[in-house]
Amino acid sequence: MVSIARKNLFHDKIRFAVALAGISFAVVLITVQLGVYLAFRSNVSVLIDHTEADIWITAHGLENFDFGRPFSEKKRYEVAEVPGVAWAEKYFLGFGYWKTPGGSQETVQMVGFDPETMVGAPWSIVKGNPQDVKYFNSIFYDEAETNRLGNLPIGSETEINNHRVRVAGIVSGARSFIQSPYIFTSFKNALNLSFINKGNTVYVLVKVAPGYSVKDVQRRIRETVKDVDVYTSPDFSKKTQDYWMINTGTGVALLAVALMGVVIGTVIVANTIYTSTTEHLKEFGTLKAIGASNWDLYVIIIEQALINSVIGFAVGMAISYLVIQAMKKGHLPVLLAPPVLVGIFVLTVLMCLWSSVLSISKVTRIDPAMVFKS
Amino acid sequence: MTSIATKTVLRLAHVSKTYGEGESSVEAVHDVSMDLDAGKFIFLMGPSGSGKTTLLMLMGCLLRPTTGSVHIFDEAVSSLAESSLPRVRRSRIGYIFQGFNLFPALTALENVEATLNLKGCRGAEGRAEARNLLERVGLAKRMHHLPEDLSGGEKQRVAVARALAGNPPIILADEPTGMLDSKTGRLISEILRDLAHEEGRLVFMVSHDSRITALADQIFNIEDGCLQDGSRQ
Repeated sequence: MVSIARKNLFHDKIRFAVALAGISFAVVLITVQLGVYLAFRSNVSVLIDHTEADIWITAHGLENFDFGRPFSEKKRYEVAEVPGVAWAEKYFLGFGYWKTPGGSQETVQMVGFDPETMVGAPWSIVKGNPQDVKYFNSIFYDEAETNRLGNLPIGSETEINNHRVRVAGIVSGARSFIQSPYIFTSFKNALNLSFINKGNTVYVLVKVAPGYSVKDVQRRIRETVKDVDVYTSPDFSKKTQDYWMINTGTGVALLAVALMGVVIGTVIVANTIYTSTTEHLKEFGTLKAIGASNWDLYVIIIEQALINSVIGFAVGMAISYLVIQAMKKGHLPVLLAPPVLVGIFVLTVLMCLWSSVLSISKVTRIDPAMVFKS
Repeated sequence: MTSIATKTVLRLAHVSKTYGEGESSVEAVHDVSMDLDAGKFIFLMGPSGSGKTTLLMLMGCLLRPTTGSVHIFDEAVSSLAESSLPRVRRSRIGYIFQGFNLFPALTALENVEATLNLKGCRGAEGRAEARNLLERVGLAKRMHHLPEDLSGGEKQRVAVARALAGNPPIILADEPTGMLDSKTGRLISEILRDLAHEEGRLVFMVSHDSRITALADQIFNIEDGCLQDGSRQ
């Protein structure tokens, strides 16, 4: 079967190239921005999502994970007594000042966990043994932060809050996207390095015993332990993500650029298809005169839109792949799961179909008698 | 419904067409009646603005008469719903335009094949039929060329082959020789005449070209929207 749509599209190569450039540009914008957004969103709660805790207990009124405030460690014992609690572990998060070899200071976030239970420990070790954090002021940092922290190899020393620390290992996958670099150490070391008084913790992590419902245990802890907030892990993760994505406007800004990609793509494709339709008006009129229905003409325009979207998507994805690889080399995380890619493809198709609306409206109004009037 | 003799393919009964309303209205065709038979090569002649094209559009179901009726075989096509007209145009009528109106991105073969596809003849059958039609108009060796690579006469042959797609009983041609030299114009006219005489189609052609009138079986003259008494039967 002869595809008038395909023939017309490929006949005018320059116009086709312009349309493809527009769609590809839109696809790259959407893909990269969405990938950065999703990585950003996932990253801000990366520590919450990688602990095996079911419930997080925080100081009352906490806005998000990164701004943890200390409360009495005694609460941990109260929590441990609540029926359905398998274990309750203390967990530290607090800011510190890291001294680089050049003498400058970097703000870091110290993450303190219990090396005996390893609850809240880094999950991907590049070098070193995470048990070593139990040694005095031994720390791990993420490989993506190497340059920022002064390229300190294992065994080298520096200072946090004017206390000497020793690099014991390197981790990966725990880069703080917008906050200061995470420095992993033992709870005890973290407390020593911080300005927080002993006898406090910043979080209590809870594992629910088998056979108990997380929601029930959460409710019981709320009823039993006062002056703290009690979240399930997914809720706390979402609260933190929403804080950074919505309250700070960062996520909105990223999504706005992605949306701009959709708008730019739609405008370019709409303009291209509409101009093409206008220039082929006589051909559409001829088709109508020889018996084509409006639907036959819509099929031609829709087929053009679909061809544009499929090829534009493929080209856009190829460019996006290169951009993302370059970004990853710079340790800038991009997260794109297959369902997201399918979603972007569907969005591209919808964008191209939407771009056809003007053209469809134009051919609907063609009077087939025009072919005799010219 | 008026009964029409089997030989009559197209019948116009007291057809008038008025454009616009009120004082600014113009009556382009006035009370035209004609019975047009299969196997005839018929000319419609007249000066510019006389109503030739309007009459052709009325015959081709591209315009509705203000009064009167148009019948194709037994079907009163002028009273059909708008949505039914594409079917009539697809199945009953083949058009040939003065400006050829070929699709520039499609080869000669594809131009004919696309029209066949539209009329329901698809796949290998459509391609084979398109080849046949082009061979019939003498374009076997040029069927893979784009219109821009064809001469005027060759383009019009493609247009004739396209008009034959779907085997319509009526061919309506709007000054098909208007953009051709006299020799090529006569050749195209002869092809159209043969389509009428040898294949039993009704070929109705609007023309200004007095050099080819000898080929016509019947000539209608129209002036100011009215058929003239001097029309040759």
